[in-house]
Amino acid sequence: MKKRLLIANRSEIAIRIIRSAHKLGMLAVVFQSDKEPDALYLKYADEIIPARDATTEKPIFLDAERIVNLALEHNIDLIHPGYGFLSENPDFAALCTENGINFIGPSATLIREMGLKTVAKSMAIEAGLPLVPGSDGAINDAEAAKVYAEKIGYPVLLKASAGGGGRGMRIVEKPETIERHFKSASDEALAAFDNGDMFIEKYLQNPKHIEFQILGDKHGNVIHLGERECSLQRKHQKLLEEAPSASLTPEMRKDMGDMAVRFAKKIGYFSAGTIEYILDEDGSFYFMEMNTRIQVEHPITEMVSGVDLVDWQIRIALGEVLTLKQEDIKLNGWAIECRVNTEDPQNRFSPQTGFIDKIHFPHSNDIRIESGVQSGSVVTPYFDSMIAKIIVHGSSRQETIEKTLAALYEFSLIGLKTTVPFCRAVLQHPEFVDATYTTRWVDQVYSPEMLENEDDEMIGALAATIMYASEYLQLSSDLPSYKNDSLNVWVLNKRLNY
Amino acid sequence: MGTSYIYKRDASRLFIALRDNGKRYKIYIPKESEPVINGEEYDIDFVEQEDFHYSFDWKGKRFHCELVSRDQNKAVVKVNGVEYKFSLESLFSYIRHGMIGKDDKSIDENNITSPMPGKIVDIFLAEGDLVNEGEPILSLEAMKMQNEITATCNGVIRKIHVVQGQSVMKDDLMVEVTSIDV
Repeated sequence: MKKRLLIANRSEIAIRIIRSAHKLGMLAVVFQSDKEPDALYLKYADEIIPARDATTEKPIFLDAERIVNLALEHNIDLIHPGYGFLSENPDFAALCTENGINFIGPSATLIREMGLKTVAKSMAIEAGLPLVPGSDGAINDAEAAKVYAEKIGYPVLLKASAGGGGRGMRIVEKPETIERHFKSASDEALAAFDNGDMFIEKYLQNPKHIEFQILGDKHGNVIHLGERECSLQRKHQKLLEEAPSASLTPEMRKDMGDMAVRFAKKIGYFSAGTIEYILDEDGSFYFMEMNTRIQVEHPITEMVSGVDLVDWQIRIALGEVLTLKQEDIKLNGWAIECRVNTEDPQNRFSPQTGFIDKIHFPHSNDIRIESGVQSGSVVTPYFDSMIAKIIVHGSSRQETIEKTLAALYEFSLIGLKTTVPFCRAVLQHPEFVDATYTTRWVDQVYSPEMLENEDDEMIGALAATIMYASEYLQLSSDLPSYKNDSLNVWVLNKRLNY
Repeated sequence: MGTSYIYKRDASRLFIALRDNGKRYKIYIPKESEPVINGEEYDIDFVEQEDFHYSFDWKGKRFHCELVSRDQNKAVVKVNGVEYKFSLESLFSYIRHGMIGKDDKSIDENNITSPMPGKIVDIFLAEGDLVNEGEPILSLEAMKMQNEITATCNGVIRKIHVVQGQSVMKDDLMVEVTSIDV
C-alpha cells in the first residue's frame, strides 16, 4: 500500500512537497482551509481533508492537536510541516511522534534545542564555532545589559532568546537608550513568545547573511551543500537570495561548511537543516543559529547542487541512509531566487490583498517557478504575502543576474502589486552587482525611486494617453477584442476610422 | 513634396500627459504610423489589449501596462509593476487652460506675417490643423514668383486671417500659430 503523506502547509511549498511525495510513490494529502477554499495546491493533492477552520482565528496549519487528530482519522503515515507555521514547533513534532506519525524533520528535542538561542549557542561553542561577542546566557535586566554593552562596545543588539522574524529585537546605539529598548523588546518577546528572556551581543555594522545547507541522516552521516547568501532582507524577512555567495573564498567556504557539518554531527542532527552565519566586512564570521526546517530559499541550493532536498528529507525520515558523500557534492554555476510577495515596494511594502486577475510567469529551461497561485486566485489577509518564487540558474553570477532580470521583465501580474519591481531594482544596483550589499541595504540604500525608469515612464504616458484618447476620440464603444500580434494600435485606429 | 512630417493634420490626436513629478509628454497618436512622443517617432509595438491592460514591445522588451485608477483626466498606470500618475489633456484643453502659449511673445514669434506684398495663391492647411516646423502653410505670389510660406515651429493653426486670392501688404498677419514645442 502506498504511504500517505500529509502536508501541514499550504501554497507553493505544499505543491513542492506533493511533487516529492509523488516521486517517491506516496499519496499526498492536504488540508483545505476555509480561509482559502480554492487554493491552487488543492488541485495537486491526491486527497483533501476539509479543515473546517472558518470559525476560528487560527488556521488549521497552526492547530497542532487538530492536525494530529485529523491525521490519525485519515491514516496518515508521515507529516511534512513545510516552513513557517508549526515547522519548528517541538511540541508538534513530539505530538506526531507520540501518535505514531513520522514527522518529517529532526527530533522534537533537536528542534527545541535549536529554537532556544542560548542553548544553540552553547552547543555551537562546544563544537568550536565562533560566536559574535556577547552575553553567554540570558540577561535579567537592563542594568546587566548595560554592563555587557560597556564590555563589548556599542552599538549592541538586544535579542529575545525565543525570538524570530525580528520580534523582540533592538539595536542600541548609545548607553542612554539601552534601558528603554531593553524593556520594550523584552515586553514584545513576552507577548509574542511567552518568554521575555533577552540576550545581548555586538552589533555588526555591515554584515552579510550567509547560511549553509546541510543534510543529515539518522545514522550519523552529515554533508553540506554549500552556502546561500540571504543578505537582502527587510525587517529580517528575506526578499532575494543567491547561491553561492560571491563574498566567500574557497577557503572560507570550506571552513564554514566543515564547521556546519561538525556542529550538526555533534548534536546528532538529522533531516535538512540550515546553519546561519553572520559575515563581517573583514571576513570574520560567526554562528548565528540553526534552522531545523526546509527553507523558502532551498531551490537555489537544489539548482546549483542538483540534489533534491525535499526528497531527501522524506527518505531520511523513513530511515534511509544518506548515500551522498561530501565529495559527491559539486556546485555548478549560480542561482538566484526572487520572492514574489504581494507587497507594494512603492509604499513601504504594504501588503496587498485581493484578486490576481492575471499572472504570467517566464518560462525557460533555466527558470524554475514555484507558485501557489494562478490567474483568478485570491490573496487573503490570513496568510503571508509570498505567492511565488522565481528561481533562475546560470553558469556565472553575471549571467544569472542578466537572466533573472530578463525573467522578471517577462513576469506580469494584473491586479496586485508585487516585490518583482523591487527585485529588478536590486539586480541592477551597483552594490548588488559588485556583491557588496549587506543586510542593511533595504533600510539604508533602497528608495522607491529606484523602481522607476524613463522607458517605463514614457510607455506609461503612452498607455494612459491611449486609454484617454480612445474615449476622447469616441473609439471605446467599438473597440474590437483584439489578439493578433501582427496588429498594432496605429493600424487598429485606422480600421476603426475607415 | 517628398518630405514626411511627423505631425499629421488632425490635432485632436495630440495629447499631453503630465506626470506628478512635473515631466511632460506630448503624445501624438496618428492613424497609421507610429506614435510621436515629444516630437520623435517611436518604434513601439502594441501587442496586446484587454480591458484595462495594454502590452507594448519596444527595444526588445515587453511592457505590461495596467490602468489602476482613473478619475476624470487623472490616471494611474502600472508599468511593469510600478505605478506612475498622469494628468491628461487634449491639445485644445491644454491650450484653453493657458498652459501652452501663455507667453504672448512666443505666440507672436510663431505667427506668420507676410514677408512682402503679394497675393495668396493657395492655403494648404485649415484652422485647428497641426503643422510641422518647415511645413508649407500657404503659397504667396509676389513678383511673379510663388513663395511657400512655412511654419517656424511645430504647432497648431489657431486662426487664418486670409483667403485664397486675397492680396496682402508686407507685415500683414496671415496665420496665427501656437507652438507645441514649448
